[in-house]
Amino acid sequence: METVTTDEQMVERALSGDPEAFGEIVRRWERRIFALSFGMLGREEDARDATQETFLAAFRNLRGFRGEAKVSSWLHRIAVNQCITRQRRAKVRGETALEDEAERNAAVFALPASVSPARTAEHREISSAVHKAVCALPAELRQVVVMKEFEELTFQEISDVLDVPLSTVKSRLYTALRQLQMRLQKFGEAKV
Amino acid sequence: MQNDNERPICHRAEDLVTYLYGEASAEEARDFASHMRQCDACRAEFIVFNRVHDSIAAWRNEALGPIASPAAAPEVSFVHPAIVRRKLPALAALREFFTVSPLWLRGATAFAGLLLCGLLVFAISRLSQKPSQVTAAGSDARYTEEQFQKAVDKQVADRLAQMNQTQRDQETAPEQVTDSSNNSPRPQVAASHSRTGTPRNRLTREERVQLAADLGLIQAREEEAPFVLPDEPNQ
Repeated sequence: METVTTDEQMVERALSGDPEAFGEIVRRWERRIFALSFGMLGREEDARDATQETFLAAFRNLRGFRGEAKVSSWLHRIAVNQCITRQRRAKVRGETALEDEAERNAAVFALPASVSPARTAEHREISSAVHKAVCALPAELRQVVVMKEFEELTFQEISDVLDVPLSTVKSRLYTALRQLQMRLQKFGEAKV
Repeated sequence: MQNDNERPICHRAEDLVTYLYGEASAEEARDFASHMRQCDACRAEFIVFNRVHDSIAAWRNEALGPIASPAAAPEVSFVHPAIVRRKLPALAALREFFTVSPLWLRGATAFAGLLLCGLLVFAISRLSQKPSQVTAAGSDARYTEEQFQKAVDKQVADRLAQMNQTQRDQETAPEQVTDSSNNSPRPQVAASHSRTGTPRNRLTREERVQLAADLGLIQAREEEAPFVLPDEPNQ
């Protein structure tokens, strides 16, 4: 019977010099970290960069992982910090990525050819509105929404990643959902 | 109840999101469901939040597609292969090492590498100067120590063989040696006769004088009266 090696065991292996162990961790979590980064940053290119930086930072700080938290929580925390850092840098540089993101991500939102053009256009409008609404959220609300909606983490896991109380996670998510609802109503594109 | 943007409408807002995302226990779910039947605000928000949730899920699925589902599209990679790669070629591994290492470690590694190269060059130069070859005296030919030893052994063996051959020749031809001894007044010939056990011939007077002269017992005949000018002229 095949036994599944846990992430924590893989970290131990990586620390003891197994060159394949960290690669396995990356393979397990890269899609989730990319999804988180994409939800946080709203741009595929930035999400790729943030994902790479996340794993690079994890690799550099592998010895700093004490096993008190789960590897997944640790990786998510690094990813969130990477995304926040990138957003701060972008703000300093005066980049306003939000406006051109809908056009930039038009290809990402491409639907199958079988869908009618009218339906495709409607989907794109909704996606664009949701995208803008999520990106417009304050960082502390956005990261909770992304972890819940993109990562499907439990409230407890989000609490572990962000190191905030469980009730704070729930209240932030509630506030985020209300703000999203109002923004989508305002855009009038999502039929909320 | 307040309809403020930042404050929840109902005090059970946290229970609402717990119920919405299916994390409530069975008992909590029953309790909140019965609350919603009485609370219009929570019921309305539950419906609205469900739509928001669906919209975000649609966006996520369209944007990320297979990425959102961990089991799908295993070939999709968002991390540079250098981070994931299992077996790196030496050069790439070195490059990666220098990329991820701190500055002091890069410097130390570079210094160690240079030191190693220097030691290697020094060792090679020392080895090339080592006297592994021996120059034969008086000759330009160069030999290794082993060759030199072989050559010496060969020379010794040749000499021994030559001496043995000479001895055998002398043993096989005693008469010839005797004849030659008659012609030669040298005492070594007499000695050779004694070694071979041949009878000693009686020396003539001339031979005895010559032998005594050779041994330095007497002055040679030529030296007995060296020619000198007389002290007085016309003597």
